[in-house]
Amino acid sequence: MIRLSWLQFRAQAVTAGAALAAFAILLAVTGPHLASRYAASTITGCHGGTCSFAANTFLSRLQATSPYPIVYLLGSALILAAPAITGIFWGAPLIARELETGTYQLAWTQSITRARWLVVKLALAGLAAMVLTEALSLIYAWWADPIVKATDLGGSTSLFSGGRFSSVTFATHGIVPLGYAAFAFALGTAAGALIRRTVPAMALTLAIFIAAQIAMPIGVRPHLIPPDRTIATIESAELNFGSLTATVVPDRPGAWIVSSGAISAAGQPVTNLPAACQPTFSGTKPSSPGPCMESRGIREAITYEPATRYWPLQWIETGIFLALALVLVWFCFWRLGRRRT
Amino acid sequence: MMTGVIETSGLGKRYRRAWALRDCTLAIPEGHVVGLVGPNGAGKTTLLHLATGLLAPTSGTISVLGSPPVDSAGQLARVGFVAQNTPVYARMPVADHLRLGAWLNPGWDEKLAQRRIGELGLDPRQRAGTLSGGQRAQLALTLALAKRPELLLLDEPVAALDPLARREFLRGLMEAVAAHGTSVVMSSHLVADLERVCDYLVVLVASRVRVAGEVSTLLATHCRLSGPRRDPATLPAELDVIEESHTDKQSVLLVRTGEPVHDPAWTVLPVSLEDLVLAYMNPANEMPARKPQLGLV
Repeated sequence: MIRLSWLQFRAQAVTAGAALAAFAILLAVTGPHLASRYAASTITGCHGGTCSFAANTFLSRLQATSPYPIVYLLGSALILAAPAITGIFWGAPLIARELETGTYQLAWTQSITRARWLVVKLALAGLAAMVLTEALSLIYAWWADPIVKATDLGGSTSLFSGGRFSSVTFATHGIVPLGYAAFAFALGTAAGALIRRTVPAMALTLAIFIAAQIAMPIGVRPHLIPPDRTIATIESAELNFGSLTATVVPDRPGAWIVSSGAISAAGQPVTNLPAACQPTFSGTKPSSPGPCMESRGIREAITYEPATRYWPLQWIETGIFLALALVLVWFCFWRLGRRRT
Repeated sequence: MMTGVIETSGLGKRYRRAWALRDCTLAIPEGHVVGLVGPNGAGKTTLLHLATGLLAPTSGTISVLGSPPVDSAGQLARVGFVAQNTPVYARMPVADHLRLGAWLNPGWDEKLAQRRIGELGLDPRQRAGTLSGGQRAQLALTLALAKRPELLLLDEPVAALDPLARREFLRGLMEAVAAHGTSVVMSSHLVADLERVCDYLVVLVASRVRVAGEVSTLLATHCRLSGPRRDPATLPAELDVIEESHTDKQSVLLVRTGEPVHDPAWTVLPVSLEDLVLAYMNPANEMPARKPQLGLV
């Protein structure tokens, strides 16, 4: 059965391997230049507050240099899309096409049980999907390492921002791509087993997977580990005076700010910059509202996940998707076996 | 003692609301080429799928070669199946289908498979999706035969084939059956084809066995009578009327009888298998009072 599965999967595997190789070559060609730019930038040897400025300089110059922005976007897009693509084109037809074309009557009447047929099929294509996505992610993580490091130091441009906890960076790095790939593949297979038609199963897979990709960073990830809270001074939180949100957590470099907002001395939320603290233009530079706010007892309340929780969060999120994948795989076996005594 | 290749009791399969097969009781003896014939919707395909284990019964029991058709490698190896419209993997070449058979079946007869593909003149590199209907059916039959099953089930294997391809297919089937002594159950609604190859017939109408028996016995025990108009109720008890038609002056009856008919009022004519099957399949001939037509031990 392993040989048959390979025979039937070979063409897809070759296509995926070719895409992976092309991506690897692109990154291998541009990666060393990116690393040397980082090494040559003012980030090396920076201290404290100068780092974020140095990182900003590095990133804005990078963003203006082709092909780094396009490769950065392409890599992220590919890693986010790879699970969906394998779920749609490998997972959804796995059972649905057999039912649709009637070949299940051929496959399941050979001297091999349906369970074994499914185990081998799922294992081969499922593991291939996971390996493909994780391989893309690892190569990309190597390539994008200088960019992620710079954003972690507080560097931010319109394209590169947010550090490794940002929605896209978190989902494209570490081990979570493995979980997404397993989930999307199992989702596709289960949708095919449920609907019994390939194209509707593909559509359902895509819809649910995209919903999961959006729901995870917005609704789930911030709650996986209860975030820490702190009250910081306006100055130390390096407040964004437009939205009154913190840009850093004092003494917690690289932390993920889940939510933040200004509060009054009485503990009430402050949603607008007090009129008295509006910046005034005397001379060339506007005055900073910070000291004014602090004099009124306004502080910044920050909910955050410290940087040390990066890997625990990665493991939990991966575990969630792997568990969902297992449930879906179980459903496939149940669905196939239900036709049986 | 005879063991049935397929024995069912009160067998039923329901899809959501509708019953595809309901309360079906039959016993098909081994060592025959059995024609399973009946109108569309009689439950032939469902019965064969239940026998292969592709479906599980909703009610009743079925045993195939003495065992329930469970999803076990051992039982699957004993039964070969050629499904309706002979599905194959369209993108896979002929040679890969044979590899599929060789890899998935411990009893695979590679020599038989290669010989058949050679005789059929199939190009091993040709994709199965580009084969003609007849070639595809032959490929499916080759896979089922080379598995060397004890029982071969075929679901309307020739329905979609032209007459020449049909004859070639059935000839290949008969050669293999003769060589290996495989029991065969083949569904069809083409009685002419069954007549050529089957030595045993089961007529299934709306899940019920209307008549079953060896073809030679069926032909010997049925005849057509024509004579002056007569009320069938006045006929002797040993004449079992299957079909009757009357004009003002004449009655024509298709009867089943163990005895030769000597009544000089009747002209006795032999009946063809096709007429016999059609008479049993015609729902108008199914009278509630008639006793069951099970001719099985």
